[in-house]
Amino acid sequence: MVEDWKSYEPLIIPDIPNLHRIEVYEEHDGYRAFRRILDNPEEWSRTNVTNEVKAANIRGRGGAGFNAGLKWSFMPQPDERPRYLACNGDESEPGTFKDRNIFEFNPHLFIEGALIAAYAMSVDVIYVYIRGEYIDWVRIFEKAVEEAYEKGYLGEDILGTGIDIEMYTTYGAGAYICGEETGMLESLEGKRGYPRIKPPFPAQKGLWGNPTTINNIETLANVPLVINNGADWYQSIGAEDHNGPVLYGISGHVNKPGVYEYPAGMPVEDLIYDVAGGIRGNKELKALIPGGTSTPVLRADQLEGVSMDSNSLRDAGSMMGTAGMVVLDEDTDMVDLLWRITHFFHHESCGQCTPCREGTGWLEKVLLKIKNGEGEIKDLDLLLDMTTQMEGRTICALADAAAWPVRHTINRFRDEFEERCKKSVHAVA
Amino acid sequence: MPEVFIDNERYEFEGDYMALQFILDLGKEVPFFCYHPSMSIPANCRQCMVKAGQYIKDEETGEYELDENGERKIRWFPKMQTSCALKLSDGMVIQTQETSEEAERAQKDTLEFLLINHPLDCPICDQAGECPLQIQTYKYGPEGSRFEVKKVHKPKRVQLGPRVTLDAERCINCTRCVRFAEEISETNQLTIVSRGDKNYPMTAPSETFDDPYSLNTVDICPVGALTSTDFRFKARVWEMNQTPSIDITNGKGCNIDLWTRDNEVLRITPRHNPEVNDYWMPDEGREAFEQFNKNRVSRPSITLDENNQSNTSWNNAVETFAEILEAHDPDQLAVFGTPHASVEENYAFNKFFNLLGASNARFTPHIIPGYGDDFLITDDQAPNTNGCRLINLEETDDTGIQSAVTSAKVVIILSDDLVGRGVLSADDLADRYTISLATNQSDTTEASDLVIPITCVAEHAASYVNIDGRIQRSFPAKETKYTNRRLNLEMSEGRLDRYGTNFDNWVNEEHKIDCLPVWEFLNHLGERIGLEFQYDHSRAIFDEMSDRIDPLKGISYERMDEELGVQLPIEQQEVTQA
Amino acid sequence: MTEQELAFTQDELDEIERIKAKFPTNKAATLRVLWVAQEKYGHVKPEVQNLVADTLDLPRSHVHGVASFYTQYYKEETGTYVLDVCTCLSCQVCGGYDILHHLEDELGIKAGETTEDGMFTIQEVECLGACGYAPMLQVTNGVYANNLTKEKVDKLIENLRKGKKPEFESMVMRQNEKRKKELSQ
Ligand SMILES: Cc1cc2nc3c(=O)[nH]c(=O)nc-3n(C[C@H](O)[C@H](O)[C@H](O)COP(=O)(O)O)c2cc1C
Ligand code: SF4
Ligand code: SF4
Ligand code: FES
Ligand code: FES
Repeated sequence: MVEDWKSYEPLIIPDIPNLHRIEVYEEHDGYRAFRRILDNPEEWSRTNVTNEVKAANIRGRGGAGFNAGLKWSFMPQPDERPRYLACNGDESEPGTFKDRNIFEFNPHLFIEGALIAAYAMSVDVIYVYIRGEYIDWVRIFEKAVEEAYEKGYLGEDILGTGIDIEMYTTYGAGAYICGEETGMLESLEGKRGYPRIKPPFPAQKGLWGNPTTINNIETLANVPLVINNGADWYQSIGAEDHNGPVLYGISGHVNKPGVYEYPAGMPVEDLIYDVAGGIRGNKELKALIPGGTSTPVLRADQLEGVSMDSNSLRDAGSMMGTAGMVVLDEDTDMVDLLWRITHFFHHESCGQCTPCREGTGWLEKVLLKIKNGEGEIKDLDLLLDMTTQMEGRTICALADAAAWPVRHTINRFRDEFEERCKKSVHAVA
Repeated sequence: MPEVFIDNERYEFEGDYMALQFILDLGKEVPFFCYHPSMSIPANCRQCMVKAGQYIKDEETGEYELDENGERKIRWFPKMQTSCALKLSDGMVIQTQETSEEAERAQKDTLEFLLINHPLDCPICDQAGECPLQIQTYKYGPEGSRFEVKKVHKPKRVQLGPRVTLDAERCINCTRCVRFAEEISETNQLTIVSRGDKNYPMTAPSETFDDPYSLNTVDICPVGALTSTDFRFKARVWEMNQTPSIDITNGKGCNIDLWTRDNEVLRITPRHNPEVNDYWMPDEGREAFEQFNKNRVSRPSITLDENNQSNTSWNNAVETFAEILEAHDPDQLAVFGTPHASVEENYAFNKFFNLLGASNARFTPHIIPGYGDDFLITDDQAPNTNGCRLINLEETDDTGIQSAVTSAKVVIILSDDLVGRGVLSADDLADRYTISLATNQSDTTEASDLVIPITCVAEHAASYVNIDGRIQRSFPAKETKYTNRRLNLEMSEGRLDRYGTNFDNWVNEEHKIDCLPVWEFLNHLGERIGLEFQYDHSRAIFDEMSDRIDPLKGISYERMDEELGVQLPIEQQEVTQA
Repeated sequence: MTEQELAFTQDELDEIERIKAKFPTNKAATLRVLWVAQEKYGHVKPEVQNLVADTLDLPRSHVHGVASFYTQYYKEETGTYVLDVCTCLSCQVCGGYDILHHLEDELGIKAGETTEDGMFTIQEVECLGACGYAPMLQVTNGVYANNLTKEKVDKLIENLRKGKKPEFESMVMRQNEKRKKELSQ
């Protein structure tokens, strides 16, 4: 757990006006990491870069928390096929609103990170896929890409090294499932965002059948920090086994919602009460969804001593997810809340596979019934049954993400759900 | 050789195999919907779940690791696997629903999901009786329904195209139809529209599903969502009788099944033959069923005065034919064989006139250049052009046919609408005595003086050589006035055939055509004019041919049946307009 | 509108070429060219989908399938302003439904409907990635209006009626004091 966070100075989004402009970024040592690599290709061979990033243990910020360098090492040896890096800026997990800050306030840090990743994996083309609703941020980001091209960081013969890397920005049109990595690949190929079956994994067969790695925007923004300061330094920030700076998105019933940058492993209570200014109207905390809708809700009494890192959250019964924290006060109606969550997954299921297509709709309909006071106790057990019927049975993890909140919210707030149910017809004579 | 262990049995395998296909090839079962052996594997129905794992091998010794009881250690995969997309690897362990309760449970769970939004209108659904969903539910499904909320409503009775109707509520989103249009027919006319549980297959709004192969989607749709507009509500599967046959509407010779009820052909579906048509056939070939029932020549007919044809007796037909032959020299006859009839018919027909002293029959291919595609539709409009060549009929073009007619007094045509297809005009035949041996009424039979009704492909066993030189054969599927299902061992019996009688309204004598196989008619004719000509069955003709014709050496009906037709060692002849 | 009248201008075609150049296949340009078309016509009804398909030389069914999958494409004509009110998770718990219902009352329509004068369409949408600034809405696939109150919504409607769209609002991290100061200057 991190204790000395009060003195922490943001690194991903430092407090530097106009940092989104390339001159300002360069003034503050921008593109230094990338230049260092290019200037010392022996010290910084592609393998060495990958190993350094692997040693740093940048846990994927897109939700799954996978070690970025390790993922890069899955790319096959270069052959005649083109190689791609697909950057995931779909940011659609409810409760999550952090990547847009990188596009807006420090786009070059991300571009530099993506370039280093591309170098390490011998990638030819970087696609940056941004959700369609973020069109204003797309425009802001596109300007940054243009600047990077003008300065010779992107395109052909980068900084005279003979290396060619293109970066193309594109955007979606409204579909949460295009944040799932292979759904995103399908969307990039111009199709309906139907996630692909794995294997083959994208590193083997990704975009147009070619080797592809997918990383989240924030994940890649961490890369230059590692190259500049070393894996050991990076390891020293944050919690054991979950380190580095994290963009915490705090929303819900707090006085000062917003995105905050602090080390991984922040005490949950400090984040809620110090950083985000405590619960609105001096109400009591009821529960926390720690990392986006898919992560299991934790009751206030489960939060004691818990910190925002994967081990601590796992022990508490949840997950880190995207670190999009939704804070819920004592007045929150958990039945309404859970119904709305299932409505989201029902709306966003791509519909390819049976358990998810049918299950998400059924979950929502039964919860609506309960919300309207027409449910019965047996419906709660039906809902729990359905979650086991969905979990682990589908092409992508959306079905799991839909099942978990149902299981855990009902189990952790069972009384509240039972109270909303009709008294059984056979009860009391 | 690499090994796998399925339901505790050991099997060896070679090459790339998906578990489901391997299990099916063993004759075992795992329920599935979206998988189709000839298309890509989307693994979207999630029905074919099995429990799978891997025996752990010591990397250094290559030996299996054992536990304290001396049993091999298994590393189970963390999740249930869809067997259709599970690639076999050495030492893999698979448990199907037969040995794993978890697999059984997973399959039941998926079926429950598939059924919640399904209308369950089996009593009025065309697919009932041959519906994988109905069958799998019966075998592997949950008992009752726990679904007590509102079902999703979707469009019903949508005319997707001229031949295919969609009931989107029955659709289980397996995407077989969409993949067919993308990967097999390549018209790309279908897509899934919308998202989530609102998904269903559709064309673009301005387009219609007029894919020339559209009806294959009806065959592969695992539920009753896609039905044949034409066949809707016409018959129940269990009332029909299924007989293997060959598509005679073009030169490809797609393998098909004829579905009959009470001696009417009600539908035609493709029969799997990986060498010819895989699982598919063109829509056109399916529409041919009409020509087996309707517009048939039944009973011989004769032209008495100028334009009036009237039915006559078989005796009189034989007599008339004989008198004409007796009144003319062989060189006054123009004898035409045809690519539209089988090898046996052409052979017997040609031999008959050879015996009379006539030279080999002529034929002209029936080609429409540019009509075909790269798939199963051919320029060749006839099923047996190469068969005519095989038995050395004299190939000629339209002019050749015309000049043969001009120099003849008598024209004898085997089953070829030469007038209808523009080779001859009715006028060309006006001053000649014209005899047609025909299955169907046509411009040619109309212009004929004597018409002998003969059996069609649905009524006899006979073989056809396709454009690629493959010889394949038909079976009798419908009775004529002179055949009897119960006596002919080659004919299959459906429920109605077995239990219907002439006195109930299931059976209708009208559906039996008054016709004979060509050879049988020629037997009678030969007898009348004292010609030594006698074939009791097409099989006898084939045996004779296989003795005499080199490329047919060693080939028999049995071989054709076992090997789904036999590729002949003949030069692949480009079938073009001569 | 008949299909004959539909066509991209040379400028638009040039833009489409630039989009195509980013990808190895025409198909990959589908989403972006649908956007170009929607910016031009305000919707991608079937005839516009066909224009996209024909321009990219792709099966019409493909474009139709894609257009119907993604929610930001308008498959029907909408009001001049489409108000996408987020009622998802964070917005739900911060009064997103109050904002939605207030709008419905003010404009006299329900979510999914368009006002008679063709000015406004209201839609209820999923999380827009502005959860810390809840409740919020997006105007016609464009600018975000954050931290809404009923009063702010009334003002927004009033402005939109006058053709005045809200301006892009930079949500600076609270830790970034210097940036905030600079922004407020
Ligand atoms: C349903 C679903 C939605 C997802 N949405 C996003 C998203 O919006 N943004 C994102 O970066 N990752 C998302 N992910 C995670 C990605 O699949 C993938 O793990 C991630 O982009 C990899 O990048 P990382 O390793 O750098 O985190 C989603 C996953 C699932 C199953
Ligand atoms: S789990 Fe759901 S979202 Fe994922 S592929 Fe299957 S249907 Fe689509
Ligand atoms: S219509 Fe039939 S074949 Fe097509 S997706 Fe639906 S169930 Fe599958
Ligand atoms: S048959 Fe395997 S998932 Fe459909
Ligand atoms: S929940 Fe409304 S913007 Fe995220």
